[in-house]
Amino acid sequence: MRRFQMPPQILRLVLLTLAIVGSYMVARVFLTPATFGQYGWYRGAALEELAARTPVYAGKKACDECHSDILHKLAGDAHKTLSCEACHGVSRTHADDPDILPVKLTGSHCIRCHEANPSRPAWFKQIVVKDHYSGKCTECHIPHQPTQSP
Amino acid sequence: MKTQFNRRGALARLGGILAGVLALPVARTAKAAVQRVFVSSGAARGYDPSKHKWLMCIDVNKCIGCGLCAEACKKENGVPEGPYFRTWIERYIIQKPKPGSGQTRGETLVDSPDGGMHGFPESPVPRDQIEHSFFVPKLCNLCEHSPCVQVCPVGATFDAPDGAVLIDPKYCIGCGFCIQACPYGCRFLSPVTKTAEKCTLCYHRITRGLKPACAEICPTQARIFGDLLNPVPDDPIQKFYEQNRVQVLKPYLGTAPRVLYAGLDKEVR
Repeated sequence: MRRFQMPPQILRLVLLTLAIVGSYMVARVFLTPATFGQYGWYRGAALEELAARTPVYAGKKACDECHSDILHKLAGDAHKTLSCEACHGVSRTHADDPDILPVKLTGSHCIRCHEANPSRPAWFKQIVVKDHYSGKCTECHIPHQPTQSP
Repeated sequence: MKTQFNRRGALARLGGILAGVLALPVARTAKAAVQRVFVSSGAARGYDPSKHKWLMCIDVNKCIGCGLCAEACKKENGVPEGPYFRTWIERYIIQKPKPGSGQTRGETLVDSPDGGMHGFPESPVPRDQIEHSFFVPKLCNLCEHSPCVQVCPVGATFDAPDGAVLIDPKYCIGCGFCIQACPYGCRFLSPVTKTAEKCTLCYHRITRGLKPACAEICPTQARIFGDLLNPVPDDPIQKFYEQNRVQVLKPYLGTAPRVLYAGLDKEVR
């Protein structure tokens, strides 16, 4: 019986295929980021990178550290659900350095929520500003305790 | 061939297996420690994404359309100027039917000027012609089966283990498939980075124990943010379930959103 001999063209083809597959595997090892596949088919490090951004709004808890008296007043009245920064604006810089004062907002800010609009829910207190009063809101209402008058 | 068993050999083998098993966690910890040294990025420490499952509950009956959430989102996340929003408010105005039309309701108008960021102008329909009108805050619906993740060709968008659907800005090629796939219109192509952008649930805030900016700023608590795996005492999420009949947007798509709405109307898409 004649011994089987691999035809040289087949051998070349096999070697070429192996070389292509091999170089693909090597390239893959080097090009895939280390954390790819850590949680799933994506770069696990992306989670950390997205979380690395610095928050802009300080949050009510930060205000509570110094202004707990005002927060206590606020909690006892109709504006209890409001976050401080809803009216006082972004106060991160103030929370980090109390010497930098937050932006003070004026009466136009009250109207943003309380101007009458048929799309607003009926339970929500609304006024038609031009029929209500032409002066400042704070002349009659205390923003931190809206049901009381100064 | 005859296998030889003796006490000494068996004990040695058993000891070897035991040592191997004990060494595994040690090796894993060592590997993790080495990785931490080389891949640290200054992000919030001690946050384990597998120990949370975030969700957002929205009570449409409480939304007053002030637009503080849309504005806060822009400021918090540095969303580009112009018609690009990660969260926005839609105003639905459902008109009364024309007399004799035989219909229960008239035409529905939906608008969202500037994403509702600066509030809403006077209704284009006179008050006496409005049957219902309400505001619907929108954001990423946190789908359990996200169509946007399925279509991404490069693995740039993904469902994080904590339920947030995120985009890896370094991997996104800006092909826009996900923008077309999202049935809720929650994605856009950023004109600045030329990559897809979307609500991250303020990932940098929630990993630090803060609420997302929109939920933080909402004056009526129309948006309630919570964690399904770590209920807090007197959990507002639990209360939300108990006090409301809860719906999701486009339930027929099978996306299983984790943004739940109370007080939706059939006109809301």
